[in-house]
Amino acid sequence: MTMLEDSPAQSTGSTAQDSSTETKPRPKARRPFRWVLRGVVLAIIGWATGVALAIAIRGGSPTDEIVVIVAYVFALIGWLAGVGGIEAFGRQWIGKKPQVNTDPSWGRYFGFSIDHKVIGIQYGVTLIAVLLIGGLAAMIMRIELASPGVGVVDLDDFNKIVSMHGILMVAVAVAGVLGAFGNYVVPIQVGAQDMAFPRINALAFWLLPPVAVGLLGAPLLGSFNAGWTAYAPLSVVNESGQILFNMAIITFGLVSILGAINIIVTVITMRAKGLTWGRLPIFTWAAFSTSLLAFTVTQFFAGALVLVTMDRVVGTSFFAPEVGTSLLYQHIFWFYSHPAVYIMVIPGFGVILELTTTFARKPLFAYKAVVAAFLGIVGLSVVVWAHHMFTSGMADFLHGPFMILTEAISIPTGIIFLSMIGTLWQGALWFRTPLVMAFGWLFNFLIGGITGIFLADIATDIHLHDTYFVVAHFHYTIVGGAIFALLAASFYWFPKITGRMYNEKLGTLFAIWVTVAFNLTFIPLFWAGMNGMNRRIGDYPDAYAGANRFASFAALILGASFLLFVWNMLYSAIRGPKAGPNPWNARTLEWLISSPPPTHNFVKEPVVVGAPYDYGVEGSVHAYFKDPDPAAPPEPTTEDVSAEVQDEALAESQEEVS
Amino acid sequence: MRRSWVPVAVLWLGYTVLMMWAVAQFNWLPEQWAIEAEVVDEAMVLLQYLGAPVMALVLAVMTWALIAWRSNGANRPDGPPQRDNRTVLTTWLIVTSALAIFVVINPGFVGLAEIRGEPSADYVIEVEAAQFFWKVTYPNGTESFDELVVPSERRVRYDVTSVDVNHSFWIPAFRIKIDAVAGLTTQAFATAEHEGGIDDDINLRIQCAELCGAGHASMAMPVRVVSDQEFNEYIETLGEGE
Ligand code: HEM
Ligand SMILES: [Cu+2]
Ligand SMILES: [Cu+2]
Repeated sequence: MTMLEDSPAQSTGSTAQDSSTETKPRPKARRPFRWVLRGVVLAIIGWATGVALAIAIRGGSPTDEIVVIVAYVFALIGWLAGVGGIEAFGRQWIGKKPQVNTDPSWGRYFGFSIDHKVIGIQYGVTLIAVLLIGGLAAMIMRIELASPGVGVVDLDDFNKIVSMHGILMVAVAVAGVLGAFGNYVVPIQVGAQDMAFPRINALAFWLLPPVAVGLLGAPLLGSFNAGWTAYAPLSVVNESGQILFNMAIITFGLVSILGAINIIVTVITMRAKGLTWGRLPIFTWAAFSTSLLAFTVTQFFAGALVLVTMDRVVGTSFFAPEVGTSLLYQHIFWFYSHPAVYIMVIPGFGVILELTTTFARKPLFAYKAVVAAFLGIVGLSVVVWAHHMFTSGMADFLHGPFMILTEAISIPTGIIFLSMIGTLWQGALWFRTPLVMAFGWLFNFLIGGITGIFLADIATDIHLHDTYFVVAHFHYTIVGGAIFALLAASFYWFPKITGRMYNEKLGTLFAIWVTVAFNLTFIPLFWAGMNGMNRRIGDYPDAYAGANRFASFAALILGASFLLFVWNMLYSAIRGPKAGPNPWNARTLEWLISSPPPTHNFVKEPVVVGAPYDYGVEGSVHAYFKDPDPAAPPEPTTEDVSAEVQDEALAESQEEVS
Repeated sequence: MRRSWVPVAVLWLGYTVLMMWAVAQFNWLPEQWAIEAEVVDEAMVLLQYLGAPVMALVLAVMTWALIAWRSNGANRPDGPPQRDNRTVLTTWLIVTSALAIFVVINPGFVGLAEIRGEPSADYVIEVEAAQFFWKVTYPNGTESFDELVVPSERRVRYDVTSVDVNHSFWIPAFRIKIDAVAGLTTQAFATAEHEGGIDDDINLRIQCAELCGAGHASMAMPVRVVSDQEFNEYIETLGEGE
């Protein structure tokens, strides 16, 4: 019995394509880091050029803000050119065919690959690393807050660490699920061979490392202490690290927008035959809705930061204290950043609903209502921003409408809960790690949702705003809603991506551990906030010592759980048992092809004939694979393509794209 | 088919009663020192009562799922193929909409009207924030940098502004908060009820609640509530000291 339970089941034979790539020896990586190295070298050259140019024109020192901006832009261009932009884009400008990285070894993860699966993994690994760095910052803060008084870091450094932690984590939450799994899974779920604009996709990813470097490099210029929100006028008058924050986040906006365009166009134009909108897997719907939102609002944050930057370096006075327009900053900022919380959690909704159907073996409950809810949230989320400004001093008559709209958004969000409950209802629940994580997610998001009501109501928000109640609330929604989904997705698609199975016992242990520790960390903070502890402080009155000591202790236990996660992922990716194409016996397209999928995803053309989650429906089929038409000319395989490209030494692992 | 409605309903009732009991039994909120605090706390408690059944419902399903709907193995039989249920969906939409409308009205608009609706005040105290201290100016023009003294049972309007970056004027014991923004004068109202000071309750303090730089954490000032008569005497003597 136990044997049966643990051995991954083969999928319903007739639909599975199991290519035998697994038996081939692994190709060896040849000079895998040369692209990244070239990028770094060109970035340094770019930086030096920018500095020289700016100083030649206007004098000053390399740490002057205007010089930093010019140098950043030049370094960014150098980096992009170096990692593969020259081949992927530059060659085209001189009339040659562009080339991209097709290194068959693991070296491809360090090059300008246009394979959406490679890019998905690049995003995933990069962002998990950022998550861990942000987590370290959190540990430092919790240690400082373990007792009142100034301990390991002084008050200003604490503000800088809060700001760094916040912005790194926001980046992870915005780009995590969408970057990693939106890229990896969406094209396969729609039956496409790749994204609509593969080179743009690669470009978007390679813009991400500069974001991390820019943010983490800010301490060299005094760091930024205005929080992740960077409210003006503080962000106009603080230290120069703020400039790097601004540049990095504008770059990050570009990552978001380029990624969003790709997902939107891919889902609209590249769906397989028969894959109507009503048959689209819910995760793809989530990624699509989120992308619409990200595409629409991201420029507002960038715009606000451009204004801040101009105030700092060219002497404009958009937000100067004297003119009293700093509320303008908040309006523009929240016009992005409220929708941003939905950019963080809608992909999470998608992941959780997707895997719940699989592990409950039931159709997704109220599929159409969920899709309507996604789109409703997208629409409503752009008209509720000022609920973050109930105490800002904006005109009183604005309070009412924003409260109504905010409460209205709880209706579509409620549908997600209904669908989750309805799908679980009397299901055949198979408690593997992803489902355990989904239960943790449901519990956390429930608390996040309920506490959100207190912040949507003006009377209570006036007291709670900017306290630890808010800190606890948004950790419940962002960590509980987005990061838990990211972790659940990592387990759910792990066998697909690596072809191997993670360790189930350790996975379940991690899921329970992280859920319990997370709740122990943040529950006491609701109390602290209600009782008068404000946020973004490195010191606090003795009255809150008990709750904080408890939270700090739990936070360390929470932090430790990630060691287990990382170990499980790394070890299993290399040593885990083979997973087979469909260990969960799921139905969407990605589970009908081999694990890991072949280079262009589908050996035969997929044809969709039914709904994706018709579990329990007699004779239902989501998709089958069409045998190739014998009259048609054979499609070239990957080997053929790379054999054509042998012109230059540079191109040993490059593929031409048209 | 197993009947799940009954046990889930029982669990739901159980959790609801338990949570409502907890809300009634324990007071998580700090002491109230002003009428506004009563309004806010009332809203807090009402929302807790309203949230309890919602939370209980999801918890009930989760609990029963863990108890009764487990099955093992990838090859287990499928669950029932229910894709939709019009009645459930409609009921859900109606109930959630009704709840949303309810909370918009009460405590939403009702609370808003009670806290910010009435513009009249017995005294006006000006509050000026700067990196990183507070300055209060009393009706007779006297100023203080180290203590805010307010009369009890009098409605006071605070005219708040900043000379540099944004700050936020928050007195946790009164549950009022309004940002201090340079170039703007924002207003908050509070009617203190009984006399006391920071030694009685740590929440009788002005606490800056908007990140304003290095000294943000320590940007606090004690608040002392005295009788109306003492208040007037206090501001008189404050003036003489100058
Ligand atoms: C290991 C778990 C974590 C702990 C112990 C933790 C702890 C903290 C603490 C102590 C603060 C400062 C709160 C304040 O004073 O305002 C904070 C802020 C914040 N955290 Fe976390 N955090 C954790 C994980 C995360 C994650 C995973 C995310 C998002 C994905 C996140 C997002 C944020 C944000 C956006 C802020 C606000 C920063 C700001 O005020 O500018 N945190 N966190
Ligand atoms: Cu919001
Ligand atoms: Cu402050």
